[in-house]
Formats: sequence, C-alpha cells, structure tokens
Amino acid sequence: MTPPLLPFELPDGALIRRFLDGDERAFRMLYERHTPRLKMTLERLLGARRQDVDDLVQDTWLAGCRGLHGYRGDAKFSTWLTSIGVRATLNHLTRGGGRETEVLDELAAPPSSSPPSMIDLERALAALPTQQRIVVVLHDIEGFTHEEIGEQLGVAEGTSKATLSRARHTLRLALNEGVSNAS
Amino acid sequence: MHHDDTEHDSEIRGMLAELPRTAPLDADETDRMVARLRDDGFFRARGRASRWAIQAAAAAAIFTVGAFAGSRYARRNSLEEMLSRQHLTVADRVLLLQRAGSAYVRAAQSYADATAHVDSSAVEVASRVLLGAAHAVARSGLDAGLSARLTTAMQPAVAPETASRKPVIWF
Repeated sequence: MTPPLLPFELPDGALIRRFLDGDERAFRMLYERHTPRLKMTLERLLGARRQDVDDLVQDTWLAGCRGLHGYRGDAKFSTWLTSIGVRATLNHLTRGGGRETEVLDELAAPPSSSPPSMIDLERALAALPTQQRIVVVLHDIEGFTHEEIGEQLGVAEGTSKATLSRARHTLRLALNEGVSNAS
Repeated sequence: MHHDDTEHDSEIRGMLAELPRTAPLDADETDRMVARLRDDGFFRARGRASRWAIQAAAAAAIFTVGAFAGSRYARRNSLEEMLSRQHLTVADRVLLLQRAGSAYVRAAQSYADATAHVDSSAVEVASRVLLGAAHAVARSGLDAGLSARLTTAMQPAVAPETASRKPVIWF
C-alpha cells in the first residue's frame, strides 16, 4: 500500500485547495516552493529598482491569493503567479519612475578584459529600458511566448518580437562596451 | 549581418540561460507573508471551526434551558402542583376543579376496566367519594342547593353503621 503523500510532496493543486480551506502550512509550502523563482524574476523585471522586490513579491502573492478562487488550473500555477507579478511590476514601475539608476552601482563589477560575467549581464539587463527588459526577461529567461508577452504588455506579438530584437542588440552593445572600456 | 545577429543572439541567449533562476528567501519572509494574509482575512478555517463549536454549544445550551423550562412549566401546571399551591386565581381554581373531576372519572374508569368482577369495596369507595364531593359542593354553595338535595337523596343509601365513618376525601 502506498503511504500517504507528505505535504511537501503534494502538487500545487492540492496545496491550493488546502490553503483555501484555511491551512496555513499548505500556504507556507506553496510560498516557499514558488517564491524563490518569482522573486528573482521580479527582481530582474524591476531593474534598477530591485530594492522594491520584497514589497512586490508580497503584493503579487496577496493579489494571487485574493484571486485564487478564480484559478482554474489551465496554466501552471507558477506561470499564473508570474503573470500577476508582471502586471504588479508594470504598475509599480509606471507609478514610480525617475529612480531607475539609483542602485545600478550595486550591480557594477570592476571592468576587466575577460569575457562578460554574469554580473555584467545582470547589470546590462538592469540598465535596459523597461519594455525591453521585461520582454527579454520573460522570453529569454522565463520562457514566455511572444503571444503571452503581448497579452501581458498589451502589445501585438510582432511588437514583442521587435522589442526583443532591440533588447538583445542593446545588451550586446552594453557587454561589448564594457569589455572594450576595460581593455 | 543577419548571420552575425543570429550568432550574437544565440550567444546572448546562452548567457541569459545560464543566469540563476532563483533568489533566496529571507529568514522571516514567509512569516511576514503569512501575517499579511492573516490581516487580510485568510486562515480563518480554525476560526470557522471554533465558530461552529460555539454555535453548537449555544444550540445545546438553548435546548437544555428549553427542556428545563418546559419540564418546569409542565410540573408547575400538573394537578399535584396546582393542588399544593395556595394562591390560585379563580380561573385556575375552575381549571383545577375540571381537571380533578376529569382525573377522577378517568381513574374510576381505569379501575373499572381493571376489575373483571364487581368489587364491593370499589363500589363503597366510589359512592363515598361522590358523596364527599357532593358535600363539599353543598358546603361551598356552588350549585344553588342542587348538591344539598342530592346528598339528602343519597343519604338513605348509606348504611347506618357506615354513615358514621369519616367521609373519604376524594381529592
């Protein structure tokens, strides 16, 4: 006889049902399962304002929990949650504005002639214009399709593709510039 | 140019693919989120359960109090309880009289049903109870002299030796 599943082995759907029944432990498991990835995604989407990520993660979960009764399981829970996070981030960036370069220095790496490091890449990503940054993060890192990105941003699929192309070009220039400046 | 772009694109994509996908949670991050959700009204299942328990307890208490009050009310209005009370209203006394008379008739009927043969002691008890009742009504003057005439009419039926006996008090 198969032993009953331990709570940490429960799939998202079961944890969600338990959470909706008021089970705090189920929520904690759900949160600890999905937040590390959500947090990193939102941090990248925020760019230079990544210090706001903790508030944004909480806002995302709160909005998600409030709308959880409407979650039908058509998409993966992580995708559904990330979509909420993207919308929250867009609102956040639209409201704030003006502080984009405040924390870029935190990401700065000492210039070197060696190939660009991950820190260089993170810094170049954070310096991208908001729309380009969101498209490249969602497409090239999170695996969203252009159709999904278009829905998220309220733009056409073709616009998403063009934005991605510009974003990669900008990244390439930024990374090359970093290397050539160092040498 | 296009070829170079594609090459560069795949290089950039390769670099992006190697970026870490997760960020560590702060030590108390989950607790803070749980607290925020609690403030927002989540995790009320236990509260709901205790609310159910309170409602069940209240229902049980109401039932108990109702049962107690009902039995007390029934006892208070029982024949024995009414007979033992001194301060009755006129309406209560009329009701008591009716109920006692009905009880007497039912008891007599029950007794008659239980005995297959004529029981001389039962006859005597019945007639003396009736006589006692008639005397009581006559003394109280409740029936404008009817019971006095009845007792007079019934007097010869009682044997002289038994007439001196104390009357059976029917109540």
